[in-house]
Amino acid sequence: MTTMDTRPTGPPDEPEEPTNRPPSMHRVRNWLKRPYAKGIVGLTILLGILLLPVAWLILIPMQATGAPASEIMEGIEQTVFVFTLVSVPIVAFVYAVLVYSLLKWRKYKGDQIPKDESPAIRTNTVGVVLWTAMSSVLAFFLVVWGLIELAQITSNSYGTISADQQPGDEQSVIVNVTGQQWVWTFEYPQHDGVTTEVLYLPKDRPVYFNVTSKDVIHNFWLVELGVKIDANPGAITQTGVTPNKLGSFNLRCAELCGMHHAYMETSVEVVEGETFESVMREMGGGRTA
Amino acid sequence: MSTETITQTATVFGDEVPQPKQYGKPGGIMRRLNMGTALIGGIGLAAIAGFVANALVPAGASTITFAPVAPDIVYLAILVGWTIGFSAGIGAFVGPIRWLFGRDLTHADAEYMAGKDLGVKRYFKFTTDHKVVGVQYLVVFAFILGFGGLLAMLIRTELGVTWSEVFSPAFYNSMIGTHGIAMIIAMIISVMGPIANFIMPIMIGARDMAFPRLNALSLWLVVVAALCLVSTLFTGGIQDGWSVYQPLASQGPPAMLGYQMTIIVFAISTGVASVNLMVTALTMRAKGMTWSRTPIFVYGIFGAALMGLYAFPFFQYSQIMALTDRIWNTSFFNPLQGGSVWLYENLFWLLGHPEVYVIIIPGTVVLFELMPVFMRKPLFSFNFAVAGIVGVVALSGLVWAHHMYMTGWAPAANYPFMLSTEMISIPVGFLVLVVIGTMWRGLVWTRLPIMAVYAVIFNKMIGGVTGIYLSDVPVDQYMHGTMFVVAHFHYMLMGAGLFGAMAGLAFYFPKMTGRVLDERTASIGFWTAFTGFQITFMAMFVAGLQGMPRRVLQFDSLFNAPNWISTIGAYIIGLGMLIFAGAVVSSWISGDKAPSNPFGSKSLEWQTPTPVPLENFAVLPVVTEKPYNYGVPDPYEKELQEVDQDLHPEEVGTR
Repeated sequence: MTTMDTRPTGPPDEPEEPTNRPPSMHRVRNWLKRPYAKGIVGLTILLGILLLPVAWLILIPMQATGAPASEIMEGIEQTVFVFTLVSVPIVAFVYAVLVYSLLKWRKYKGDQIPKDESPAIRTNTVGVVLWTAMSSVLAFFLVVWGLIELAQITSNSYGTISADQQPGDEQSVIVNVTGQQWVWTFEYPQHDGVTTEVLYLPKDRPVYFNVTSKDVIHNFWLVELGVKIDANPGAITQTGVTPNKLGSFNLRCAELCGMHHAYMETSVEVVEGETFESVMREMGGGRTA
Repeated sequence: MSTETITQTATVFGDEVPQPKQYGKPGGIMRRLNMGTALIGGIGLAAIAGFVANALVPAGASTITFAPVAPDIVYLAILVGWTIGFSAGIGAFVGPIRWLFGRDLTHADAEYMAGKDLGVKRYFKFTTDHKVVGVQYLVVFAFILGFGGLLAMLIRTELGVTWSEVFSPAFYNSMIGTHGIAMIIAMIISVMGPIANFIMPIMIGARDMAFPRLNALSLWLVVVAALCLVSTLFTGGIQDGWSVYQPLASQGPPAMLGYQMTIIVFAISTGVASVNLMVTALTMRAKGMTWSRTPIFVYGIFGAALMGLYAFPFFQYSQIMALTDRIWNTSFFNPLQGGSVWLYENLFWLLGHPEVYVIIIPGTVVLFELMPVFMRKPLFSFNFAVAGIVGVVALSGLVWAHHMYMTGWAPAANYPFMLSTEMISIPVGFLVLVVIGTMWRGLVWTRLPIMAVYAVIFNKMIGGVTGIYLSDVPVDQYMHGTMFVVAHFHYMLMGAGLFGAMAGLAFYFPKMTGRVLDERTASIGFWTAFTGFQITFMAMFVAGLQGMPRRVLQFDSLFNAPNWISTIGAYIIGLGMLIFAGAVVSSWISGDKAPSNPFGSKSLEWQTPTPVPLENFAVLPVVTEKPYNYGVPDPYEKELQEVDQDLHPEEVGTR
């Protein structure tokens, strides 16, 4: 006895109004009646429901240390969430075929070459067209979403503003970040060039970073704020952020920079604007700009 | 050539072929050369070169950064001496030198070089027979994989022991870099070496590769490169990751020269092997093997070889430039002297990304080759499989800068590179469709190779989806440089690449070794490794999402739990791989003799006797039908036509 799908035993169902329906619809109806079609569609739905929570679960570790603390990080988490949702149906379908195949189409064991052959399906126009169309639409959606989101975070991190055009107004804060093996130094040019080894940032005020390195490539990563840019020797890279959450966050080097790369981390203190100014004054930096 | 030199003939497959003059015994000097003379030549010339270099460097000389000059110069001399000495000792230069003297190979010479009547000795010589080269590649692959795997175990040990440093930071960093490049080399040769060399010529009905001596050369250059790589562990280690970004690498110990030499030699090997595989696929196919009758494996290997051929020179040049930066004080990559670190990153990733497809495509097409055999049905949509390979090859060269989103090199270029990277999911999707379609309603004969396909597709989906996250610049702004990336590419390169190669090995094992693989033990090993793999890299995804950077040896206690889990999983992988390796080795030594076609395949390679005779075919085959001609007419299709016939008799004929 085989576990292969047997053909439906009954006669093909009688259409009520045969002339009004295109035969292709009957092909779909007929297809859905096949046991394996039902099985795979059902399994896809089941696995889809089982996989759906991943979209939320994946955010738990990302938020473990207090993220999101900026609009940039909110955008990143939203993108992860949406991409997971979009991927679930595809993964569910592919896994459904794998599972169904293992459950129902597994037939022969041992060393004997099977006598029976499977149906010779060399291609299936409907299947191929559907798959291509679906994957193209999904890829298109991901690209469009990604481009819009990229434009968004570029503007949120002031990525298009070059160093000489950064506003020196009351509201904004400029920080010159220098990486060297294996410490970070933060210089606040608007506050008499105060330098610190802990990054102090005011909440709800735009911060502009000019990032460079003294020796090798480092990567300036404000984990919970979603800011990341390489610190290159011989070049200055710009980025920025507007922190929107008070707290103590992590700054790690995310580019291998030699022996003590693992220890090249410090903390980011996001404080109220007034506290920030007083911290700066304590360190000897009145606001000059 | 004047007629008087042609004094004798040889009988080649029944034809009388005029022969050039025979000098000495067949094989000439090649009779005396083998791996032993190669090691003597390599070590001897390395020692001489080292002494000479040491004598020539002025005592106490130092560079502008006050580093002593001697270690670099001496080590480079040793590496060059080793490379040339080993190549000479194995006989790599004999062909060109004979050619300079105008001494063409006779048929007897060629047969000697192909290993005729040499027995086991032929595996330790510069043997031109593609089957010998394939087996040699398999052994070299296993050694490099084992070396890289051992380093992986040590890395995970360090990361699992969260309460103290097991290794010094310098040694830990060298393990990371060496593990990375060793595994990349191992994976590039995983299918392209053993299976493509051994199987592809037989599959297309050829008696050997197009350039048999280049084939042997490509194999022995991998050996040269691998030993250059091992030598780095004793000269300070590759402390900068496998990508050895500048200017960090320029600070490194002399071991960096070992890395550069490894890459320069390995790139030559890859170039030679790629040209050989491509020319073989283009010109050596049997009569009647039109493109639509050519197995998909040949397309995949051709595509991978094409990518290797254009991508590896970038890597090679980048390392030659890094070497001149170091030794002759050029400044391609030194920003203090006007060089650019972004130049290095671009050159590196121009290889770095295509190389991933050089690994993945052969690992996928080998599954395409075995699925129809165990499913007893044709490959689904051959055209889509070809389109997928063509699409991946075409896009592979246009996506490299997605590794550089966060470098600040060209923020505006992130838009087009994100576009091209996400586009690549469409041809990769074609390849998944081919697998799904071939699986569709196929009755499964549950042997190890086909069961491995399920594992590979399971991993490939996870690797693919996480790849889509990483291709997106905003998400990459969080994920770049974290353990998430590490887990992602292990899902692709190991979960899909290595497990696919293991499936291919299990499939072709009877043909390659003449023995039956102990599938029971091998399956236990395979699924143990698969389980450990999921544990290791799922936990690593979590660590990455929490914000753990890669290539660190100590970290925030936040990341302790996922790292403990990950380390346990890694040991399970190690155990599984050892069981698998044990099954392979014991079957190879003492397995039952394999029948010539144990799986009932219809491909050409399974129609030859086992063990495959020298020159494969006494009479060259003629191909008369498409590949994968399995299966019976689809019962449902007939029924559908009946339904249509009942409904719309007038339309059926037009469809």
